[in-house]
This record gives sequence, C-alpha cells and structure tokens, in this order.
Amino acid sequence: MRAFILAGGFATRLWPLTEKRAKPLLPLAGKPLVSHLVEQIPAEVPVTVSTNAALREGFEEWKATMNRPNLTIIVEDTKNDDHKVGALGATAQWIEQESIDDDILLLTGDNYCGFSIPDFLQSATAGVPLVAVHDLQDKQKASAFGTVIIEELRTQNSELRTSNVIGFEEKPKEPKTSLVSTGCSLLPKEALSTVKEYAKQHPDNVGGIFEEFLRRSIPVECYTFSEPWFDIGSFDAYLEASQALTGENVVLNEHVTFENNTCEGSVVIGKGSSVQNSELRNVIVFENCDIDDCILENCIIDNSCILKGIELNGKMLRADTQLTSKL
Amino acid sequence: MQRYRTLLNVWLLSDIALFLGAYALAYFCRVGWILSTDFPFDTHMTVAAIIAPFWLIVLITTRTFSLTRNQSTLRNFAYIIYAAVMGTALFTLTYYFLYGAFFSRLLLVYAIAYTILFTIVWHILFEKLMRSALRKDPAVFRALIIGVTRESKRLIKTLNETKNPITPVAILDGRGSKDKDIDGVPVKGKLNKLEEVLQEDKITHLIQCSDLEQSLNLLGACRKQGITYILLPSVLGIVERDERVESLEGQPVTMVAPKEGWWTWFFR
Repeated sequence: MRAFILAGGFATRLWPLTEKRAKPLLPLAGKPLVSHLVEQIPAEVPVTVSTNAALREGFEEWKATMNRPNLTIIVEDTKNDDHKVGALGATAQWIEQESIDDDILLLTGDNYCGFSIPDFLQSATAGVPLVAVHDLQDKQKASAFGTVIIEELRTQNSELRTSNVIGFEEKPKEPKTSLVSTGCSLLPKEALSTVKEYAKQHPDNVGGIFEEFLRRSIPVECYTFSEPWFDIGSFDAYLEASQALTGENVVLNEHVTFENNTCEGSVVIGKGSSVQNSELRNVIVFENCDIDDCILENCIIDNSCILKGIELNGKMLRADTQLTSKL
Repeated sequence: MQRYRTLLNVWLLSDIALFLGAYALAYFCRVGWILSTDFPFDTHMTVAAIIAPFWLIVLITTRTFSLTRNQSTLRNFAYIIYAAVMGTALFTLTYYFLYGAFFSRLLLVYAIAYTILFTIVWHILFEKLMRSALRKDPAVFRALIIGVTRESKRLIKTLNETKNPITPVAILDGRGSKDKDIDGVPVKGKLNKLEEVLQEDKITHLIQCSDLEQSLNLLGACRKQGITYILLPSVLGIVERDERVESLEGQPVTMVAPKEGWWTWFFR
C-alpha cells in the first residue's frame, strides 16, 4: 500500500494565513494539520505528499521535523492558482510517473479525520474502492457537502461501519442522507487504470472518480464514522476545529512567555510568542508574536505580529502586522 | 509622479499670475486705462505681489489643490471666496502699513470679484486638463479596488465617467467573482494575489469596497508599501450618503447625524 496526500491547493479563502504556507501546514492544536494525518498512517506505508513549487519549501521544512524515512515530497508543475493540474490530475500523474501498482490511501491534506486510519484500512474489502464518510446526523447540514447514499441504513446497534454505496449527490437541496464524503479514501490497484483515464477528462474532480466507478459498475464501499471531522476551508472552520481539538484549554508551545492573561475557550500560543496582560477568547497565535495589553476574541494571529493595546474580534492577521494603539 | 508634480507647480504658479492679473484689472477698471501718478500702478502691484504668496497659502490650507477635490462644488467655491476675501484684507493692511494710506473701496470690491471669478473659472478648466493628463496611459494614480459589489461597480463607473485622476486599474475580490471585468477594469482574482497586483500594477491607492474582515491586512499592506488606503462607507453599511468625517476630541470619526434643517450642519 502507498499513501498519497493532496497538498497542492493555494487555499485562497484562508488568505492571508496561506499567503506563504500551505493549508495542510497550518497549526492545529499545536502541530501542523498534515502531521495529524501522517502520524495515523501505519509506519510501513510509504507516504507521498503532493504540493506545488510555490509551497515546496514549507513542506521540505516540515518533512525535516517528521521522523519518517518513507516520507516523500513531490512537486506538481504549478506556479499559481490559475495553472493547477488538479487534485485528481496530480494523483494520476504520480501513478503514471512512479508506475504505481499498489493500493492507494488517498488523503486530502486539509482534512482532519478523528477516526482511526488503521481501522479504516482494515475495514476495506480487497479490490473494492472505499471512501470514508462522516455522519453529520443532520440532513440539513449535509446540504452544504457532497452526500453519500448507501444501500441500507444500519441499525443503531450495528457495529458494522462499512456499507455499499449506491449513489452520490453534490450539495443537494434536500439531502436523502446525513452522510457526507470526506477527504479520505482507498483506491485499490485494480481501479487505478480507471483513475488515470477519468483524470484526463476531470483532473479537478477527486470525488467524481467514485461516481465514475459506480457508472462502470465497479462496487464502492463506504466507512462511516461520527468522530470529529473538519474540512479546514475557511476562517470559521479553522477556529471551530481548533476549539474542538483543544477544548476549553490553553495550549502553550515551546519558548512561550505567558503572563498575567485571562483566557476563555480555546487558546493556542505558538513557539516563541510572548503574550502578556491580555484577555484571550478562542484565539490561535502563531509563532514569534508579541502581544501585550490586548483583548482578542475569535482571532487568528499569524507569525511575528506585534500587538499593543489593541482590541480585535473575528480577525485573521497577516504575518508581520504591527498594531500599537496611540490612544 | 513627476507628471503630477509638474502639473501642480504649473497650477500654483498660474494661480499667482492670475491673482496679479485680477489686481491689475481691478486697478485699471477703477482708475481708468492710464497709469495714475496719484495712485501709482507699480506701488499697487508691488503690494499685490507681496500678498500673492500669502493668498495662495490660504487657498492651499483649504485643500483646494488636493487630488480628491472636485473644483465644481459649492464647498470649493466657498473656499475660493474665503481665500479671496483674506487676500484683499491682507492687501489693504499691507498697503496701509507700507504707505500709510487707504484708497478706493470700489477697487477692493473689483479685486475680490475678479479674484473669485478668475480662480473659479481657471480651476475648473485646469482640473479638466489635469485629469486628462494624469489619466493618460500609464495613469499616475492607479487604484486597486477590493470587492466586486454594487457600490464598487458604481464607484468605478463614476471614477471613469468623471475622469477622476485616481484611475481604477485592477480589482480583487475576497470570495472570487464571476465577472471578468467591471467597466473595463479587470478582475484579477482573489486576495491571495494582493502583493502581485500591488507591485505589477504599480498601485498608488487601494479602495476597500468589501471584505471588512480583511481591513487590517489590507491597511498593513498599504502602510508597508506607501499606498494610500481608502475605505468606502458602504463596507460599514453606510449607504445613504449622509455620513461625514468629523473630529471628536482630536480623533477622526465617521458621523451620521439625524436629518434636520441644513443650518444644523454648522452647529452639530
């Protein structure tokens, strides 16, 4: 088996946090989002992270911090958002170039999956594509995602997590189910020729490959989970994920100065930052920031920001921002 | 920017010449088309020449020459009248201090009237000339518009129609817009292209028309690169054009006061 992590997106909706870093490298509860995924993948499975030239450096630095010899970074031939090869295109390109003839654990680098990936892999039927689906337990909420329709509804007591998929619907107005597809799937080696073929026409549509399998009468199974799952696509989703993982706690990384502060909700302070005399509520502070006498609520503060005597609510601050109240 | 500096210098110097011309014409209209020995022309013009720079300073302090000022507004006319009155008062005092004499009051009335008339007409004409010159490709003042909204579309249309010297050259939209261009101004993508657009398009002004949550980051980028930041009141939900910028204990504030009689403008 091989693991392939898609991390080539430019994440424009999370600007300016993603200005100089890839979305999977955003810190979540004290470590990069992609680290949460990689740490779950069985040690013997080689992991390939696919990114683009603009984001390569960050991933190389991250790789150096991971104690995993079978971790490889590959670079798509993409310079900006207008010239991307597409997620499925990048997967197909890698399969082709590396002559992959193995099952592939395909992961989206900006997803946090709270379930056990080894359990997910164990639940797979040989030769059958498997997709992880999250049960939102609310059909209305599911209308914002791609939903998965399964053959039969499991009873509440059933411990069986896998089911046969009979259809997919993209952001349906009236969802038939509360199951939504996530960025975790297993492509058996028997299906790789279909992947390469489909990617030529639809290089952007990762989800579409499973619909294509069904169209070609290739059975698809799903693994249902209700553990936390986050698609870190927006400011709100990022804050929500941070709150869910850290709870009502203060997470302090290395070399942090943290004195005389009042905290509420989830507060994460990055390496080398100094926070003093401040009130913080649901705040993520990245590395090497200097915050003094501030009131911050629902804020994400990027690297090396200096804030003195400021009150902010619901803001993402760009790296190196300096704000000092003159009042 | 050199083009702007040259035009501004020409404008200031031409205003001085215009002031002197107004006083010379006032002299001849009052004295007749002769050079009087009782009230020498050279003495009159010497005092006018001394006063001209002070009159210009008064006019400058009213921000009549600022880039964003429209010369054809009542407010601008009021400032020009105020400067003309100040100029004449200074002229009278200076003449008295230097020569110990007063003179025809009608001449002063002529001087004020001609100064006002000449200044208003010349400023309107020069503004047209200046706007065309500053917009000539490549435009001197190049604006990046943030946000594709109804208000930003209106603003771009107005700036283009009035040939405002601040020329919209690019648009970015935080959420991504389906529009390819607005009134000929290209939509170049989302905010991740900010730095690229600021540099490639040599932006001098950034006008924020939406994406309020990014105001600090946009402001930070402007401060770092010496770009003028402008915020459209509609971003704050103020869309009725009844806001004004005031000062509250020295701090600038945007104020929307209840609609009352026009005279309340002077007191509230």
